[in-house]
Amino acid sequence: MTRSVSRRSFISGGIKGGALLAGSAALSPLISACSSSSGGPGTSGSGESTTLTVEIDEGQNAEPWVWFNADMKRTVGVSTTIAGLPFVGQYEKIVAELVARSSAYDVLVFPPYFMGDFVAKGFLRKLTDFGPESAFDLPDVLPVYRDPYLKRNGDLYAANYDGDVLMLTYRTDVFDSHGIKSPPATWDEFLSVAKELHNPPHMYGNAFYGQRGFCYAWFMNIFAAYGGRWFDSKMNPQINNDLGVKALELLIELNKYAPPNELAIGYPQLNQVFLNGSTAMVIQWDDLPLKTESAALGSKVIGKSGYAPCPVRSYMPYSRVMAISAYSANPHNSWKAIQYMNRSSISAKDVYDPGCGEDPFRASQLDPSLVKDHTGQATMPPALATAYVNAIKGCLAEGYPELSIPGAFHYLDTLDLFVNEALAGQISAAGALNAAASEWNTITQSLDQGAQEAAYSAWIQSFQAAGVSY
Amino acid sequence: MTLAVLRRGREISRPRKRASAGRRFGRLAVGPATLILVALSVFPLLYALRLSFMSDNLLSAAPMRYVGIENYIALIHDHLFINGLVVTAFFAAAMVTVQLGVGLALALALHRLSRYQQLLATVLLIPSILSPSVVGFQWLQLFNYSGGLINYFLRELHLPLQTWNASPRLALPSLLIVDFWEWTPFMVLLLFAGLRSIPQPIFEAARVDGSSGWQILRYHTVPLLRRTIGIVVILRLVAEFKIFDIIYVLTAGGPGSKTESLAYYEYTQGFSYFNMGYTAAMCVISLIIVIVLVKLILGFTERPLVRLAADTEAP
Repeated sequence: MTRSVSRRSFISGGIKGGALLAGSAALSPLISACSSSSGGPGTSGSGESTTLTVEIDEGQNAEPWVWFNADMKRTVGVSTTIAGLPFVGQYEKIVAELVARSSAYDVLVFPPYFMGDFVAKGFLRKLTDFGPESAFDLPDVLPVYRDPYLKRNGDLYAANYDGDVLMLTYRTDVFDSHGIKSPPATWDEFLSVAKELHNPPHMYGNAFYGQRGFCYAWFMNIFAAYGGRWFDSKMNPQINNDLGVKALELLIELNKYAPPNELAIGYPQLNQVFLNGSTAMVIQWDDLPLKTESAALGSKVIGKSGYAPCPVRSYMPYSRVMAISAYSANPHNSWKAIQYMNRSSISAKDVYDPGCGEDPFRASQLDPSLVKDHTGQATMPPALATAYVNAIKGCLAEGYPELSIPGAFHYLDTLDLFVNEALAGQISAAGALNAAASEWNTITQSLDQGAQEAAYSAWIQSFQAAGVSY
Repeated sequence: MTLAVLRRGREISRPRKRASAGRRFGRLAVGPATLILVALSVFPLLYALRLSFMSDNLLSAAPMRYVGIENYIALIHDHLFINGLVVTAFFAAAMVTVQLGVGLALALALHRLSRYQQLLATVLLIPSILSPSVVGFQWLQLFNYSGGLINYFLRELHLPLQTWNASPRLALPSLLIVDFWEWTPFMVLLLFAGLRSIPQPIFEAARVDGSSGWQILRYHTVPLLRRTIGIVVILRLVAEFKIFDIIYVLTAGGPGSKTESLAYYEYTQGFSYFNMGYTAAMCVISLIIVIVLVKLILGFTERPLVRLAADTEAP
């Protein structure tokens, strides 16, 4: 039987269809949020996917997941695909996914200074919900990288992937030619050596991370050496004082003995200005020494580099830990992948590979005989490997941990902006630090003063318990 | 009432009924589109307006609460917001002016060509059809201090090398260069299309009357092109107020906050710090500024041609 369609019924049908379309368009974010959260906390192990999505800053640091993917599949039955995020900008992209309860990521690899926010907002699953703490061989993890980086309120939320600390890498041949016997042990010495060796455009005295994003860490590295602190017990900022101004003015002064494009220098550029032989000293993360000896990476300073802790203390920016997203539909398998990558036998293969940025975090890894790439090839002559490992030990002996409380990203990013403004000559050192301190007060108040005081106190206690002086 | 009168009445009311049904059909036909517009544009706009009077940080445990005009007052004291406003205003003013001037000159030159107009117009379009992020990365390479092409030529010419996007002095001009390169061709094409729509006899008559090239441009071309100019200025102005991509790639707002535009600052507050209420207040202010500017431009371009001609008449 055929049915004729009147104009009235056509219009009426059109309206209903249009309304449905408009309604579904408007509701689609809600629908997707609901559907994506269906695999959230409470999902059982059965029916989980064996292919996991790993969020990590893209580039060299994702390499170990690729190197060991096949073995991981064989050993624990899980394989991974990488969701690469930019190094600067990683925080907002992870948070944007997680506030929407997205299951886009199973395993999150991030710096521990995000941990305060992530735990406070319930973005992470406890690792102990899926297996014993002993599976991560925590006694072997260096104390400074253990509880302050992995635990909150006594609960284990993450496992180490990378241990980071700033280190001085310098040109031994240039030092020798100027009769400089040893690397600078104080910041005044560092400045005078940078001045002496500065001979542009052939040789620049020093270089540091001057781009926006992490330049605050190079300020904190000096500030820590001067005995600076983040806050007092009442969360009053302690950066805008004489010590802070002295540290920032020194960094501004060091800029005079740096390459002309210093304010465009980020992580890869900082490696490059040392590897191309144009800079006498750099303060950089501790993976640079491995690259200095790598012909494959185009190093022009092979056999000409020395390594030492930063003057007085070494700041510990970044590092990476692995955790399970609260909205992962595959938490049990995520645990397996994290446990596999964290194993001593696996992580020892990547922390000395010049092709990635991972660095030692286990006591057992501080062994010069392990300085090899992931295929087992030695990456440094034995004497240099010993000097390198000793330099790491020296850095960690006086390491200064990165702020890791709720809001840490906001505090640090704000500090970074004002340090960068001071470096760009937009504002004085004192003005920059006062402005940063004022912003810090606003952040503290917006996050609840009492809760922040408690979190800061707990964080200090955790790294004091790890033997770090503060 | 006779049958004739009734019939006449029906005859009169039938077209009215038809018109009324047509109107009803028209309204109903645009219904779905209106619903989509309300759901995807009007509702978010009203929601953002409401949010601008709230304290709402997605990372804070504190619930969203009404704070009146606190966010707006805070903006007045926020030097980074003021800085963003100044950077954006400078960027928009400089780019719209320069792109319009150069764009008009190139459009006139293109219009005068007797051959290859289509080919040149297509070639000109290339920068504008590239993704702004791709353009940013491409220029990042060109601006590179040690290996970039621009510094290579400076070195060859024995001129001092520049740090372009890293220099507090040159970072903003570097962004202007990139924006100019990317969007001037777009301006040229729209103005060229506008020129082609002007009846040619007007120009011929002006030439017969003895008008010089400058007089034709001033008293005929520009007044007749004013609606097109208005549209391209509005398009570019709105786009410059949203400038973000190339800043994100080339300078990340630095050095310091030298190149931090309003859109970049809004992004930082909204999607790095998740201060949604504060960000909404900034967006409302931006919207008001853009609306006022667009209204002013429209007011100018919609003025009657006779009055416009009188305003520009030579003594």
